[in-house]
Parts: sequence; structure tokens; C-alpha cells
Amino acid sequence: MSDIIISLDKVKKVYFLDTVEVEALKDISLDIHAGDFVSIAGPSGSGKTSILNLIGCVDKPTSGTVVVGGKRTSDLDDDSLTELRHKSIGFIFQTFNLIPVLNIRENVELPLLLDNQSAGIQSKIESKADRKEWVDFLIESVGLKDRMLHKPAELSGGQRQRVAIARALVMKPAIVLADEPTANLDSATGESILRLMRHMNETFGTTFIFSTHDPDIVEEADHIIRLKDGRIIEDRRRNGASAALLAANLETAEATGTEGGQL
Amino acid sequence: MIAARLAWGNLGLHRRKSLLIGMIMGMGILILFIGNSFIDTALSGLQRMFVQGYTGDLMVTGPTEFPTTVLGETAGSEEVLPHIAQIKKYEDFLARRNDVAATLPLLSGQAAFGIGETELGSGYCFGVNADDYRKFFPDNVTLVSGEWPKAGDGPWVLLSEPTLAILNKSATSPVQPGTHIIMTALANSAGTVIREVTVKGVIKFNQSNKQLEGLTLVDADTMRDLLGFASLRDGAPVLTGQEASFVSNFDPNALFENLFASNATGAAPAAAAPASTAQPGVKAEVIPAWQFLLVRVKPGASSSRLLSDLSAFSKQIADGDRVQDWIAGAGKVARTAVTIRLAFDLLVAVVAVVVVMIMMNVLIISVNERLYEIGTLRAIGAKRCVVRNMILYETAFLAAIAGAAGLVIGLVVLLLLGKFGIRAPNLFFEALFGGQVLKPMVSAGAAIRAFLWILVMGLGASWYPTIVALRIEPVIAMRGD
Repeated sequence: MSDIIISLDKVKKVYFLDTVEVEALKDISLDIHAGDFVSIAGPSGSGKTSILNLIGCVDKPTSGTVVVGGKRTSDLDDDSLTELRHKSIGFIFQTFNLIPVLNIRENVELPLLLDNQSAGIQSKIESKADRKEWVDFLIESVGLKDRMLHKPAELSGGQRQRVAIARALVMKPAIVLADEPTANLDSATGESILRLMRHMNETFGTTFIFSTHDPDIVEEADHIIRLKDGRIIEDRRRNGASAALLAANLETAEATGTEGGQL
Repeated sequence: MIAARLAWGNLGLHRRKSLLIGMIMGMGILILFIGNSFIDTALSGLQRMFVQGYTGDLMVTGPTEFPTTVLGETAGSEEVLPHIAQIKKYEDFLARRNDVAATLPLLSGQAAFGIGETELGSGYCFGVNADDYRKFFPDNVTLVSGEWPKAGDGPWVLLSEPTLAILNKSATSPVQPGTHIIMTALANSAGTVIREVTVKGVIKFNQSNKQLEGLTLVDADTMRDLLGFASLRDGAPVLTGQEASFVSNFDPNALFENLFASNATGAAPAAAAPASTAQPGVKAEVIPAWQFLLVRVKPGASSSRLLSDLSAFSKQIADGDRVQDWIAGAGKVARTAVTIRLAFDLLVAVVAVVVVMIMMNVLIISVNERLYEIGTLRAIGAKRCVVRNMILYETAFLAAIAGAAGLVIGLVVLLLLGKFGIRAPNLFFEALFGGQVLKPMVSAGAAIRAFLWILVMGLGASWYPTIVALRIEPVIAMRGD
């Protein structure tokens, strides 16, 4: 068994909508191991995004403990959380969230450029040449080599999500969080995106955690966490099956000629 | 650098807002640049005219309660300006300094001109030593006819062309060099003083306005007499032996000694003075009266520093003397120009507040439209400083671009106006322009001031939007746009 990279212990999250108290997460405890390919499933309002927010260090629990990479997030100040996100977590958003004024190359490179924001922080990718090579490699890996200088607005939804995946991986993070990454895509494109994520997971050993309410996609994961009304109703691991299943799905996608075949 | 890159991209992406803010900034710079250049031109013209022609850089006057100009006006009082009692000490102090180019003592007052019983006109007069005056203001006076007074000449006057024209309107025979005229003035202590002077020449002031072009130059002693300083004429009076003996032996008590004493014999009162003894001429120690001491500083020297030092010295040696700069010496006109600058700056400040509010609104809208973008930046690891710098860069870029455009347009406008000039519509503007036509110069100071104003306004306008942007939490990126 690999090391635990994320741990939630008796986590509760309460939001206030005006004066109404909404309990989004109720007594959540879970462990995620390094290199896992995890799906968090459940209907809308079940708490999927709330868990991702806590794991992604963009939110703090009302009570309980969230430990990411060995650090209790509630003990960290804003700068430390920012640094933790920057160094250790990649984000793939449902709505892609690319920066419209930057071209594809710049969008992918953006986290690396943010690396210069504070003195003394050494990037994992040392030289400028290495960076360029790495960015080019990622863009090529997501099949957008010929679109490198295009703006996000000039790409399709699937292509944008590929850019987002490349951006999420550019810092070589230990964890990539994907919030319903296929929700705004057609099924074939969504499948190709999932396949790409799986490929990156296997290639770089990056822990992927994605939320979804699509039952087909849920089953692609090695570790499935199901939520309902803010509680975990299933926390299950699949052993060895996922890779074979994914490979079969990929072949189907390629045969249908969707854009997912570019990997 | 990434903040600058994002800022630059955002300006392009939000073209309309960028254009709106840019136009406001550009217009602001244009107005500030042209307005300040106009004021700078007027002020520097006035300064050149007064400093080089009438007041020097600094001016010392005797003790007065009211502000004094070189024409001797004292607000609230029509009395003759007192003389500077310690003028020698001032001259010694100034002579020791290496930032002083020259000094000029001067008298100033009003007098009427006439021939015989007929009054022909009146005007302001400067009492001066002609040579000293020409040395101090070498470029301001041109001799039109006649000659410059020489040492040893009797009472003289140099009439300006406009004054000569006024006198000749009423004179039965033309007033010209060589004509003897009567000058009359109402002195404080001496009542009406009348002096006969010879017109030595006719002069023209090269830089002047309606008030100054009619000035008359008079020899200093005549002016002293007219002002009531007759006892403080230049040069020590030489007394005859009999006068000296009388002065030295004078006993005022002796005048009254016998007045109340019983003197049955009715003998004539004894002479107050003992028998006089013939003595050679004696020189009395008299310092000639001067109301003004004008000071020119050397090129490049600081007149404000000298003003400060001279004021401190004045406080040590004399009570109530005034040390003033050329603006005070020039009086109303210069003060008006300075006031116009202050009013302009005040107006700019008021408009700036309104403009800042408009810009702030547009920037807040712009930030609110980029909630997810900023949230995404924060989520993927941008610290708050990146967001802050991005907003500040946007303002700085806009200020730089709009500023450059405003300055270029302003430069063209100023060059065109400088080529053709603006004619003064009335005497007030003529005085303000320092001549009949104002040719605005391109003022680097005005450009810098305008740019700094806009930069400050831009930064002021981006202050609150920056706070709003910094409050955007990374979690907002997860909500989707």
C-alpha cells in the first residue's frame, strides 16, 4: 500500500446562505494514497465540490482535520496555503478556467511563471530551457502542439480541458484535482479527457481526484468515494481492473474518431 | 513579469473600458499640460520682466506693517514708505556673499509734473543713481533721446515716452531734453515739496506693462526731498565754520534761561552761544535714505535660500524691515498669476476627485467581471501580490499610454499656439501675459506635473478595486464562470 497523501478526519463543513445554515459535509473521514486515481461521486449537492475545495486548500473545514501532503491545512496561513497549492496541487475546473488573454502555451506555462513571485523558491524545473522543453512536451502530450499560439477562445471545449490538464501538470504536482472535468463536454470528448488523465496518472504517478455524477466515469477510478447528503455512503478500492477497462474504452474512443484520439 | 503580461492582455481584452479610462486620463493630461504651460509661461514672463526690469530677485524695505511693492504701495496705508535705517549693514552682508550678483538702492513715490504754475501730469518715479540703475538693469532701459545723467549733474529726470506724451499734451511748448520742469509731491512730514529738475533724456522700458511703462527716473536726492527725506540726502553736508560752531556749542537751555529770569535792567538776552570761533568745515555723518534695496542673485544661485538667510539677518539687525521675493515686489499682477495657478490646481484637485470616482467605478466593474479569472490565478498559486501588481500595472500602462498621447497632443497644441500667440484681450491679461501677446512655451515642469497628477489619480482610482481584487478567494474559481 502506498503512502497516504490526503487524509480527512471527522470533517464538517457548514455554509451560511444568508441566515440559513447549510451543512455540506457531515463527519467525513477518508484517506487517499499517493498515485491513486480517485473518483468522488454523488448527485448535485452531495458535497463533492466541498471535499475538493478542502483537499485543494481553497477552503477550510468548519471542524475536523484536513491533512494534505502531511500538512494540516487549518494550521497554514494564506501564503502557505497558496504555496502548497502552487507546488503540490494542480486544478482542472469544470469550466476550464483558462486565462483568456494568454495563449495556450502561456496558459500552460502560467504556474511556472508564478514560481518567480517570491524569492528563494526554487522551481522543480530549474532552467529556462528545461521549462520550455517541459511545457512543449505537455502541450504535445495533450495533442495541441499545432494550437500552441491560439487563444482559449479559439479552441473547442475538449481542447480547452486538455490545456487545463497540461496546466495542472506543469508544476509536477503530487495531486491533481478535477471538478467534474467532463461535465461540459460531449461523452466522447469526456472519455478522451478521462483517458488523458489516466495516462498522466500512470506516467507521472500523480494522484488524480475527480468529482463526477456520471456513473460510467465513476467506475474508471481505482478508488471510488460516493457521497450523499454530505456523507460518505461508499468508499471502495478496485484492484487492477481499472487499467484494462480504461484501455478498452480508449480503443473505442479512437475507433469513433473523436478528438480524444490524440493522446 | 507575469502580472505585467496579464495586465497588458487585460487592457486589450477589455478595450472599451481601457479606452474610456485612457481617454479620461489623456484628456486630463492634455488639460493639465496646456493649462500649466500657460501659467508657467505667464509666470516666467512676469518673473523675467520684474526680476530683470523692476524688482530684482529680492527686495528689502524699511519697517512697514503692510505688504510693499516696488511702487511703494502699502495696503491700508497711504503713508510714504519708511527708509531702511540699517542699509549699510545689509549692503555689507550681501557683499560678503558669493551668491549675490548685484544690489541696487532705490526710492519710489508719486509726483506731479508741471511747468511754471501749470500741472501737466503725474506718475510714479524711481529715485536712483543713474549709473547704478543701468548696471543693475542693463537690458531694461533704452535712451530714446537726450543723454544719461552724469555724476555732478544737478537735479535731473529721465521721462519715459508715455509720460512725455502726457506732459506734451498739456504743455504750451514741447517738453524735451533740456526742459526744466517742476516736480511736486506731498511728503509725510514736509508737506508739499516742490523741486525744479532738468529733463536729461527720454527713455523706454524694454519690458513693461501699462503700469510700468510710464515710470520716471529721478535723481535720488530730488526723490528724497519729494518723499520728505531731505535731511537724509546723499553725501555728508559740509558746514561752514560758523555753522559748525553754532551746532557744536548749541545749548537749548540757554534759549529759555533768561526768558523767565528777572532782569531789571532789561538788558538784551545774552547770546546763547559763546563767542564764535571760526572753524574749518565739518562733515556730519549722514547715511542717505533709501526705501528699497534690490538684490539680484547670480545665475544658478538659489534666491529662496538667500531670501531665508537675508530674512534671518534682517531679524537680527532691524525690527520690522521686510525681505520679500519678486512676487511680493511685483504686487497685484504677480500675486494674481500665482493665485490663478493655485486656483487652477484647486480646480484640478476637485475635478481629479470626480475623475478618480469614475475611473474607480470602471475598474471595479472590470474586477468584478474577472472574478473567476482572478480566483483561478489564486487557486493555481498566485499570491496576492500578483493580483495587486496586475491591477497596478493596468493603471500604470494606461497612464503611460494615455499620458504619452495627451502630452503629444498638448505639445502640438502648444507649439501651434506658441507660433501664432494669443493676444491679450484687455489690460488685465496684458499685465498677466507680461506683454500684449502670450506665446505659451512648452514647459517640461508642466508636463511632469501633469503626468504625476495622472499617475496619482490612476493609483488613487485603482486603490479600492485592488482591495476588491485582493478579497477574491481562490474558492471562487471552483464555482465556474
